[in-house]
Amino acid sequence: MNLGLRAILYTVRKWKKTLLVFFLLLAITTLVLSGLAIADAQEEQAEEVRGTTGASFTVERDISTGGWNGNYSTQEFMSEDMIQQIAAVDGIEGYDATLITLPDIFNDKGEELAHENYSFYNYGSYNSQYHELFLSGRFELVEGTHIIDDMTNSIIISREVAEWNDLKLGDTVTGIYYPENNTPAVDMEIVGIFDVVADKGDQVNMYDDSSYYAYSSYVFCSMDAAEGLIKGWGEDGEGISEAYYYVTDAAQLENVIREVQSISSINWNNYKITANDEVYQNISSALSDTGTLITTLIIVITAVSMVLIILILSMSIRSRKRETGILLAVGIAKPAVILQYVLETLLIAVVAFPLAYLSSKQVAGTLGTLFGKAAENVIVTPEHFMLVAIVGGVLLVAAVLVSSISTMRLKPKQILSQME
Amino acid sequence: MNLCKRAFLYSIRKKGKTFTLLAFLLVMATLMLTCFSIQSATETANANIKKALLGYFTINGKQLEGGITEEVREQILGIDGLSGRYTLRSYSYAEYCDAQGNPLEINTEEAAQIPEGYEHAGKIVANSNSQDDSYFTEGGFELTQGEPITTEGGNQVLIHEKFAQRNGLSIGDTMLLKDVEGKNRTIPVTVAGIFTNTKEQDSIGIAPSYDLYDNIVFTDLSTAASLLYGTEDGASVQYGDFYVDNPDELERIMDEVKDIPGVAWEDCTLTRYDNDYQNAKESLEGLQNIVFIAIAVVSVICFLVLALFLTLRLRGRIHETGIYLAMGISKGSVLLQYLLEVVLVAVIALVISFGTSTVISHQIGSSLLSQVTSETYETVDLTGEHETAEEPAEDLNLAEIEVAVSGEDYAMVWAFGMALCVASTALAAYPIMKMKPKSILSQMS
Repeated sequence: MNLGLRAILYTVRKWKKTLLVFFLLLAITTLVLSGLAIADAQEEQAEEVRGTTGASFTVERDISTGGWNGNYSTQEFMSEDMIQQIAAVDGIEGYDATLITLPDIFNDKGEELAHENYSFYNYGSYNSQYHELFLSGRFELVEGTHIIDDMTNSIIISREVAEWNDLKLGDTVTGIYYPENNTPAVDMEIVGIFDVVADKGDQVNMYDDSSYYAYSSYVFCSMDAAEGLIKGWGEDGEGISEAYYYVTDAAQLENVIREVQSISSINWNNYKITANDEVYQNISSALSDTGTLITTLIIVITAVSMVLIILILSMSIRSRKRETGILLAVGIAKPAVILQYVLETLLIAVVAFPLAYLSSKQVAGTLGTLFGKAAENVIVTPEHFMLVAIVGGVLLVAAVLVSSISTMRLKPKQILSQME
Repeated sequence: MNLCKRAFLYSIRKKGKTFTLLAFLLVMATLMLTCFSIQSATETANANIKKALLGYFTINGKQLEGGITEEVREQILGIDGLSGRYTLRSYSYAEYCDAQGNPLEINTEEAAQIPEGYEHAGKIVANSNSQDDSYFTEGGFELTQGEPITTEGGNQVLIHEKFAQRNGLSIGDTMLLKDVEGKNRTIPVTVAGIFTNTKEQDSIGIAPSYDLYDNIVFTDLSTAASLLYGTEDGASVQYGDFYVDNPDELERIMDEVKDIPGVAWEDCTLTRYDNDYQNAKESLEGLQNIVFIAIAVVSVICFLVLALFLTLRLRGRIHETGIYLAMGISKGSVLLQYLLEVVLVAVIALVISFGTSTVISHQIGSSLLSQVTSETYETVDLTGEHETAEEPAEDLNLAEIEVAVSGEDYAMVWAFGMALCVASTALAAYPIMKMKPKSILSQMS
């Protein structure tokens, strides 16, 4: 009887024992596979957290290297091309730039809109959701949509202005910046309405221009509309002087900046880049602690699983001492006996491993429905399976070999006489 | 031979088997305990993240008569859940005079208008720490000489470089601040520092004279209180930003603040600022869920493996069981003997596991501590040179992460471990016990 046949016969004859070992292997492999998937999911989740910290960099014209004309710098402004070129760099999630104008705004009957002090304070914007006022939560869009870069002639106004002037989404208003300089009238469609959340009564931000205007008088219009408003007027004094870029992963901020700096068509002598990732810096150590803890957890699980497999196999081999003695006594070579044991184990593993792959996918699926989004990231990949199958297989063989050493060293007579 | 003795003898005699069982139970218990200690450590890490996202609320008490008094501030700080970090602010206007009472020159050239009575006056900004003021953090102000103002008292001021030049003032000089409402409050102050602005003021042309950067003076809170309220001690302030540990609790804490008696809260504006947290909230919960998922999976599978293992072990003793029964030992006492054996080993394993898991937890804890993180602000230079300023991480007062086995977790592992050992042994023994000794023995190979 060859050893292959013997291995199969043993496995079938002792089906209860086989089943137990099978379930043990199945459970442990599922555990390790799920662990690996969880480790990956943690990575992704941490990346998502980093993405929410609003890490960004600002590209602005460098006033120190440009000339001065009285009160204002003659440094070149940022061109639309340049802004788009930077925005196209990998790892940038969104961007915005502002072009400030102070227009008068009229309704479709030609009446000037009611507003608080001075005039309207208008931010020309590419993607208003990335405007500091919205990102910081000081303003909140409550109706309609944000301005995005492919919109033309669109505007977002405050709820107060909308109420005072009986305006709603879809209405058209007309802005004129400097009528005395013959700047054109620009028609804009209201695409969104925002609520003011912040407390304007707080004097904390009184250091800049915009602070002299009431929040309700702030409007955001699409960039082409803002450019339209200043057309024909001293353009050298007005233009986009800074743009903000938000990155997908705060940990990659530096790399993204480096890539931006390597865009050769931009004369970097005239512009400077400032990184801003304060929020990320604040949480990064605590966040990486979480990462380390989860990784450690998975390592502990994996290590323990290996120990368990070795323990189980050695136990099952040791309980077969008597059988080993008989097999040796009937003249079967030691390697053949060991090979038989290895074969039996592998026979079980061949079934258990693929099943563990399926069952851990099932586990991940169940978790997905239980925990929603976070658990959806827990995905068992074929790579995980390959890893577990190869390492697991080697481990199994090693475990069988190690646990049969003590029995194999003895002569059959010794083994059999040792038995009770 | 009574069953205790039998159980004991069996354990001694079958050293190998007992040892395997011990090792198995020990590994399991250690795994569970380590998992639990890691889980509670990630909870701390998560709380740290929440805290580091700096949720806070601002009390605008500008309209309050007498401002936010020290007494009220203490009551606010006593509320559970505040991190202890706070910034107090006051803003006012004052006429500037030299020590002899002669008015000092202000910048009027670029002013949109010079209101009457403000010909020698400017804006007074008082902050718990002048370096934390938005003029410095966002407006581009920089201290060039002297020290920032960090105390509540001390009658100190920081003045603009140009203002210092115009009036021949330097550090250590004394000047007077006079209120502009004719209430005859005059406070002598010492120049503690000189600042400059690195960004142009973009509001030139709209800003009245007192708001021009040159004309702004930073001072301490009690000097501002003297100007605003005429009080000598117990500085009242106009604004307070109070940071909380967990931004989720902002709502509750703000409600509790509004319940503090003796303050006209209807005249105050309370604003919550937790946008960073709101942005990260969902992802953070996801991260915490992942830890929970890991622990759940480990627990379930551990129990499963343990049950299977004990079953496997007992099935190897069918022969022995048959003999016991044939000898006339009652089924109950055979079962009890098996249970006793397992429990005996489990007790030892659980006791040792406390030690092993503590050692492992300690290892994990110290590997966490060795991760040094420092805040890096980078200005990317035009020439491609990187100007990197390593600043020590801002002290956010985060809790130290402790990976340790808690008593509760230990007790839980004991309870579950024991219950499982007993249950799975009993369950595995059940089919064997159901059989007659004869059929057991004849069934043996």
